[in-house]
Amino acid sequence: MNAPAIVGLGATVMSTSPGGEAAALAAEAVGAALADCGLARSEVDGLLVGSSQGVRPDRVGVQLAAQAGFGDLRLLEHIEIKGATTIAMVERAVLALREGVVRTVVCVFADAPVRARGSAGSMYAHSGGNSGVRGLERASGLLGSVPTYALLAARWLHVHGGAAEDLCAVALAARAWALGNPAAVQRTPLDADGYHASPMVAEPLRRLDCARPVNGAVAVVLAADPGVGEGARVAVRGTGRAHPVRRRRTGAESWFGGGRPAVDSALGHAGMTRGDLDLIELYDPFTVVTLALLEEYALCLPGQAGELARAGQLGPGGELPTNTGGGQLSGFYLQGMTPLHEAVVQLRGAGAERQVPGAGTALVGGLGGRSDHHACLVLEAA
Amino acid sequence: MTTTQLTDWLLAPGLAPDPADSLAPLYTGAAADELHLPHCAACGLALELEQRVCDGCGGAEVIWRAVAPAGTVHSVTVVHRREPGLVLAEEPYPVADIELASGHRLVLAPVFPGTAPPAIGDPVAIGFRRLGEVAVPGFTTAPAAHDPYPEEAS
Repeated sequence: MNAPAIVGLGATVMSTSPGGEAAALAAEAVGAALADCGLARSEVDGLLVGSSQGVRPDRVGVQLAAQAGFGDLRLLEHIEIKGATTIAMVERAVLALREGVVRTVVCVFADAPVRARGSAGSMYAHSGGNSGVRGLERASGLLGSVPTYALLAARWLHVHGGAAEDLCAVALAARAWALGNPAAVQRTPLDADGYHASPMVAEPLRRLDCARPVNGAVAVVLAADPGVGEGARVAVRGTGRAHPVRRRRTGAESWFGGGRPAVDSALGHAGMTRGDLDLIELYDPFTVVTLALLEEYALCLPGQAGELARAGQLGPGGELPTNTGGGQLSGFYLQGMTPLHEAVVQLRGAGAERQVPGAGTALVGGLGGRSDHHACLVLEAA
Repeated sequence: MTTTQLTDWLLAPGLAPDPADSLAPLYTGAAADELHLPHCAACGLALELEQRVCDGCGGAEVIWRAVAPAGTVHSVTVVHRREPGLVLAEEPYPVADIELASGHRLVLAPVFPGTAPPAIGDPVAIGFRRLGEVAVPGFTTAPAAHDPYPEEAS
């Protein structure tokens, strides 16, 4: 049987201005992905939907099947594993295609956090509720997601002997890639002075250490049958998951660790090693996460992620091309669709100014919660 | 001990936690200036605040009891972004992830305004803030970590 492949890719404009609702954005991305591979909605028999977790009432769900004009389906799910959702969705599609349950599956993620009233940061600060552990954390001033990752960042830098310069280097690499990506929302050149002038949000994270929320959507179409779809195909060679249950106790290193089996599994399926990967497309909501995941996934020698970043090896022309569209930091924040979209573009050789020469394979990672949920794909140009 | 602030310096009362939720024993204890945290009734292991089954022995009975109000800093940040209407403090404020002597972990704000951020590994004591009608735990640092000349502070 042929390996399941990504046969279609579609995206909306990534907007930092208010406008668009998630269902309309999702429908637009689905339409673009189907047009990309020459399929009609009537030829789709599987739809997987992902949305941002949280309190927003307009998040997309299984009702999207009706909203986006589909007919009868044989697979329809709204998947929710926090930030790991999108990559897990592709894995779910691959398994269903292998089982022969479906012939053609669309996976879509949409989000619209940018509103006319109040910034996205303000909306996140007001989200989370008053109950349980999160209620106690919010009562302790841990508002929004940045302070939580600031605690992770401070701990990570302490344990690994890193410094603010390491975070700066990641931000600069992401921006350098974004300059060549027309879909990136932050495309002005950035240097270290510009980084250090960025307002502090929660130490050690500055605004430029944080992903940029957008209103937008990305959809992919998957099929195993070579007769489905036209155009360039990107094979899904391997998938992997890790959900480390790390107890938050005295003496435990609970902010990171435990994700490596997801990468080992995906590479194992693919029959590849880390040295076979041409591109690393990670989930990078904060600069520190790029560094932590490079180490956690054993994509560099232990303790070397900061040094690699400072040496420019993650950026254009570097030895370890990472987040080659600018990632979530300078590109756009659509959770796992950000690294997935970029991997497909690169493996089709469609990266134009930012194209990594000879890119044939990619690792794509999704990350959820407080680095609690890992989902990985190994992709290969087919 | 005089480590309870009567009105909160940091946050608006709307951020008070629901004192009747699953952490109710913590808030009831805090109202009496005691730190109550969950343990496995069978083996005594320190449990996470929302844990229902012990990962050590599989026991499903949880007991909350008073623990020593002391710990060390696992990680710390200083929050500069202060959402209008939610954050009352006019200066950036520290928040620390604390490893308690009891084995538990809590992410807490300082009990008192003007607390200098502690360093990772520093010892801290646990006191209580009063946020709206609810007492919540917070941390205090050793006197040496405070400004030694507070009366001269601007």
